[in-house]
Amino acid sequence: MKKLTLKSKIIIALLAIVLIAGISIILTIGFNKDLEYEDAQNIQLYINSDFEVSDIKQITDEIFQNQEVMIQKVEVYKDSVSITTKEITDDQKSQLVSKINEKYSRDIDEKNTDIKVVPHIKLMDLITPYIIPFIIATVIILIYLVIRYRKLGVLKVILKTVGIIILTELELISLIAITRIPLGRLTIPMVITVYMLSLIGITTKYEKQLSSKIKEEKKEEEK
Amino acid sequence: MKAKRVKIITIIAIIVLITMISFIGVYTQVQNRMENQVKNYSYAMDINGTRTIVLTPSTDNKTTIKDTDGKEVENSSNLTDAQIAEKGYTKEESKYNEDDVLTSDNYEKSKQILEERFKDLEIKNYLIRVNEETGNLTLEIDENTDADTIVSNITQVGKFEIIDSDTQEVLMDNNDIKLVNVMYGSNSSQTSTSSGTSAYLNIEFNDDGTKKLENITGTYVNTTSNNTSSNTTDSSDNTQNTDTTTDNDTSSSTTNKKITMKIDDEKIMSTSFDQVIKTGKLQLTVGTSTTDKTKLKENAKKASNIAMILDNGNLPIKYTTDENKYILSDITTDTLQKVEIGVAILAGIALIILMFRYKVNGILSAISFIGFASILLLTIRYANVILSIEGIFAIVIILILNYIFNDKLLNNIRKANKEKVEIENTKKQIKETYKNFVLRIIPISIMSIAFCFANWIPMSSFGMVTFWGIVLILIYNLLFTSTLVKLQSGIVEAKDNKLNKPKVKSSKKVKEEKTDKIVEKKEKNNNTKTAKEQKTKANNTKNKTNTKRNGKNK
Repeated sequence: MKKLTLKSKIIIALLAIVLIAGISIILTIGFNKDLEYEDAQNIQLYINSDFEVSDIKQITDEIFQNQEVMIQKVEVYKDSVSITTKEITDDQKSQLVSKINEKYSRDIDEKNTDIKVVPHIKLMDLITPYIIPFIIATVIILIYLVIRYRKLGVLKVILKTVGIIILTELELISLIAITRIPLGRLTIPMVITVYMLSLIGITTKYEKQLSSKIKEEKKEEEK
Repeated sequence: MKAKRVKIITIIAIIVLITMISFIGVYTQVQNRMENQVKNYSYAMDINGTRTIVLTPSTDNKTTIKDTDGKEVENSSNLTDAQIAEKGYTKEESKYNEDDVLTSDNYEKSKQILEERFKDLEIKNYLIRVNEETGNLTLEIDENTDADTIVSNITQVGKFEIIDSDTQEVLMDNNDIKLVNVMYGSNSSQTSTSSGTSAYLNIEFNDDGTKKLENITGTYVNTTSNNTSSNTTDSSDNTQNTDTTTDNDTSSSTTNKKITMKIDDEKIMSTSFDQVIKTGKLQLTVGTSTTDKTKLKENAKKASNIAMILDNGNLPIKYTTDENKYILSDITTDTLQKVEIGVAILAGIALIILMFRYKVNGILSAISFIGFASILLLTIRYANVILSIEGIFAIVIILILNYIFNDKLLNNIRKANKEKVEIENTKKQIKETYKNFVLRIIPISIMSIAFCFANWIPMSSFGMVTFWGIVLILIYNLLFTSTLVKLQSGIVEAKDNKLNKPKVKSSKKVKEEKTDKIVEKKEKNNNTKTAKEQKTKANNTKNKTNTKRNGKNK
C-alpha cells in the first residue's frame, strides 16, 4: 500500500468533514432554496410607463425588508411590474400599491389587485433534463479513458473515475448545504463546472501515472 | 529582424481590429441612424424572459341536447330553446370537470402529459409548476413567434373517440392508441380530384385497438360499390385514407352503418369503410393534396399538432387559460454588464501577472488573450449559440482554460530557453505544450460534444460554448499566440547572435591562443603540483614536531 503524506491526510480529513457536515445538514435542515424553488406569492401592477427596477427595489426593500424579492418587467412595453416574494400580507399589498401610486402618479385600486400563488418548481424537474446527457457523456468518456489508460488497469480506471466524479459532486453539494448558498439557477452550472474540472484533474493524474509507468517499463527493458 | 517586428505589429493590429469589432461593433447608417451590423447574442429564457401561461381547471358547464331516446343530438348548437322544445329534445348541463376529477394525481398527470407534448413540439426549454391545491398549472416557455400557437394547441384536452354515428356508443378511445405521427405521400388515388403531396395523420393502434379496428371496419362497411364518399382504400397497405377537411357523409344510401371520429367532442369526420383493416393503422389526410410548399407545410403543421395532442393521451382535466404574459427575466442587462465587468477585472489581474512573469512574451500573450476573448464572443454570436446562465459559465471556464494553456506554453518556453534563446527550442516547446494540452482536454471535448446534442437549451448552450471554445483555443493559439512567441524568440535569438558574434581571427592568432591555453594549463598543473608538495612537506614537519613534543611529555 502506498503511504499517505501528511498533506494528503489533512486533505482527506477535510473532505470527510465537509461531506459528513453537508450530509447531516441536508438531512436535518435541508437546502436553502431560491425563491423559484419555493412556494411564493406574486403581485402584478400596471405602472403605465417605463420604470427602473432599482426604483421598485427601493420600495420593496422598505416594505418587505429582509425578505427576498424578485422584480420583473412585464410584456413587451415593459410598463407593468411583477413582484414575487415568499409572502405578501394584505397590509404589505396596500403599502406597495400606495407607494407605487405615489411614485408614478397612478391610481391603482388595491381591491382590483390580486395576490397570486406561485407554486414551486420541483427539484427533480430541475435535475431530470440533465440526467441522460450526463450519463451518455460519462459513459463515452469512460470508454475513452479505459482505452487510453488501459496500462493502469481497466477496472481501476473505471472505479477511480466514477468515484472521483461522484465524490467531487457530493463535496460540492455538501458545500452548498453548509454555506447556505440557495439552490437555484446557479446550482446546475456549478455542478457542470465541477464535473468538467474533475475530468481535467482525473486526466492530468492519469497522464502522469501513464508516463511514469512507460518510463519504468523502458528502464526494465534496458536492464 | 525588421520583418519579424513588422509581422508582430501586423498580428497585434489584427487582434486590435477583432477586439474592436467584438466589443464595440461595426456601425453603418441605416435610415438616418447608426446600426450595429454585428450579430446580437441569442439568449435563453433564463436571461431573455419567458412567456408565462397560467392554466386553471375549467369551472364551465357544457350543454348537451338529447333526443327522446336519450341520444346526443349532433349539430345542436344552432338550435333555439323553442326548437328544442318543439322536437321534444332535452337540454342537460354538466360540468366539464366533475369534482372527483380534480385530484392531485390528475394535476400531476396533466403536468406529465404537457411535458410530453412540449417534447413532441421540440420545445427545448420550459418550466411547469403545479399548484397541488387549486390544480393551476403555470407554464413557462421561450418567448418567440410560435409561443401563441403553442399555447393554443397545448391546452387542448386531446380526447379521441370513434363512436357509432347512430347509437353514440364509444367504440374506440385514447386507450387504444399506440402512437400518432405525421407522414407524407403523393396522392395517387383514382378518386382524388387533386394531385400533389398530402400530409397524413398516421394513427397506430395497440393490440386491443387493432382488434377493435378490425371489428369496426368489418361492421361499418360500405355495401355499395358506387359510393361517392371521398374515402379510398390504399391497396398497398390496406389502410383508409380520409380527407378530414371535407364532410364525408355523402355516401350512398345503401351504406348501413357509419362511425364518427371526434377529437375533444368536435366531429372530425363521419365515414364507413371499404375494406377490413387488419394492420391496426389508420391514415387520415389532413387538408387537400397540394404542390404548394407553404400549403403543405401548413397541413403538416396542423397534422403534427393533432399528432402531438393524441400521441400523449388526453388531459384528465379541461383547462382554461387564465393568464398569458411575457415576463422579462430578473437578470437585466445591468446584471449582465456587472458580470462582464467582474470577469474583465479578474482577467485583467491575471494578465498583469502573466506580463510580470514572462516579460515581453507575457505582454504578447496578454494581447493575444484579449483577441481570443473577442473572437470567442464573435463565434458564439455567429454560430447561433443560445446563451443561458450555463453558457456564461462555460465562457468563463474557456477563458480560464486558455489562460492556463498560455501560462504553460510560456513557462515551458522560458524553461527551455533558460540559457540561450533559440527559436528551435521555442518551436519544440509549442509542440510539446500542444500535445500535453490536447491529451488533457479530450474528455471535456467528448463532454462538450455530448452536451451539444442535448435536447435541453441550458445544457446544449454549455456544450456549444465549450466546443467552440476548445476549437478556438487550439486554432487561435496556433495562429496568433504561438506565432507571436516564435517571432519574439527569433528577434531575441538574432539579437544575441549579433552581440556574441565572434570576430574573424587570423590563423596565427588562433595558434598563439592555443599555445597560450596549453601553457596556462601546464602552469596550472605545475602550480597544483608544487602546492601539493608544499602541503605534504608542511604536514611532515608538523608530524615530526608533534612526535618530538609527545616524547618530551612522556
